[in-house]
Amino acid sequence: MTTDLEHELKQLIIDTLELEDVTPEDVDPDEPLFVEGLGLDSIDALELGLALQKRYGIQLEADSDETRRHFANLRTLAALVEARRTQ
Amino acid sequence: MTSPSLHLQDWRAWLPDGDAERDARIVTDARPAGRSLPAMLRRRVNLAGRAVADLLAELDPGADSILLHASRHGDGERTLELLYALAESAPLSPARFGLSVHNAVLGVYSIASGNRRSLQAIAAGGDELAALFSEARGYLAEGAPRVIAVFSDVPVPPRFAAHAPASRGAAALAMRLTLDSGRAIHESPWQGGGEPPQPVDVIAWLRTGGELGSPLRGRAWRLAP
Repeated sequence: MTTDLEHELKQLIIDTLELEDVTPEDVDPDEPLFVEGLGLDSIDALELGLALQKRYGIQLEADSDETRRHFANLRTLAALVEARRTQ
Repeated sequence: MTSPSLHLQDWRAWLPDGDAERDARIVTDARPAGRSLPAMLRRRVNLAGRAVADLLAELDPGADSILLHASRHGDGERTLELLYALAESAPLSPARFGLSVHNAVLGVYSIASGNRRSLQAIAAGGDELAALFSEARGYLAEGAPRVIAVFSDVPVPPRFAAHAPASRGAAALAMRLTLDSGRAIHESPWQGGGEPPQPVDVIAWLRTGGELGSPLRGRAWRLAP
């Protein structure tokens, strides 16, 4: 079951990171986003951080354990946006 | 002492606007497949970058050749986007920044192929072919068995076009060069004028031979039959 916010974040990830062959259905909310699962890399992490700042006003530390936890999968990312969004 | 002679062992090209009538060495797809790159890397490079990676995969199947990549303008689109973002004090895209650098295409290819030899990116203000031959000679003289020299360019963005020489079309080519195997490349002085050779001109020379001059360097090259 995917929430509206999770769906919005899937689309944000696909558009921002130019995942040309990926559809929202391909992104499993419980699978890892980085390295395994979707297979994103460190440049994607920076790019995604910038997108979260632009879209939701969320500021993240670039290299903290906390950020790693927020970026674990789509559900943790959605929880972060719910908790910290300012716009 | 004479400088080491260059030989052309093989070549490949991407020529989307050309009439490359059934030359198996030339890809004419407007959108190169980029099959040599996994999708997660392919999304990062522009059309010329996809083409270059595919040309390299054919000429460097063992992923163990020294690679040179010359481009007069590089990825002008991304670079200008970054400058416009800076002018508006907007945050810069890390991915665009990382891939706007001149060695981005060889970097992406080397990640995909596992090639860990020297990679060199060159911009020479219109003298790219001469620079490629000079650098290749240096590596070969030091003992490299072969060097792959790539030259690619796409038209600069329309907003910048008035400040750059007119593009004769997007194109890319890759040449496998050695000291003693293949067709000799004879170099001679060149008094003729003309425009600096662009990738499309080098591809025409590779196909039909003749003399190709570089007015900036005052040198010309002729391919032995």
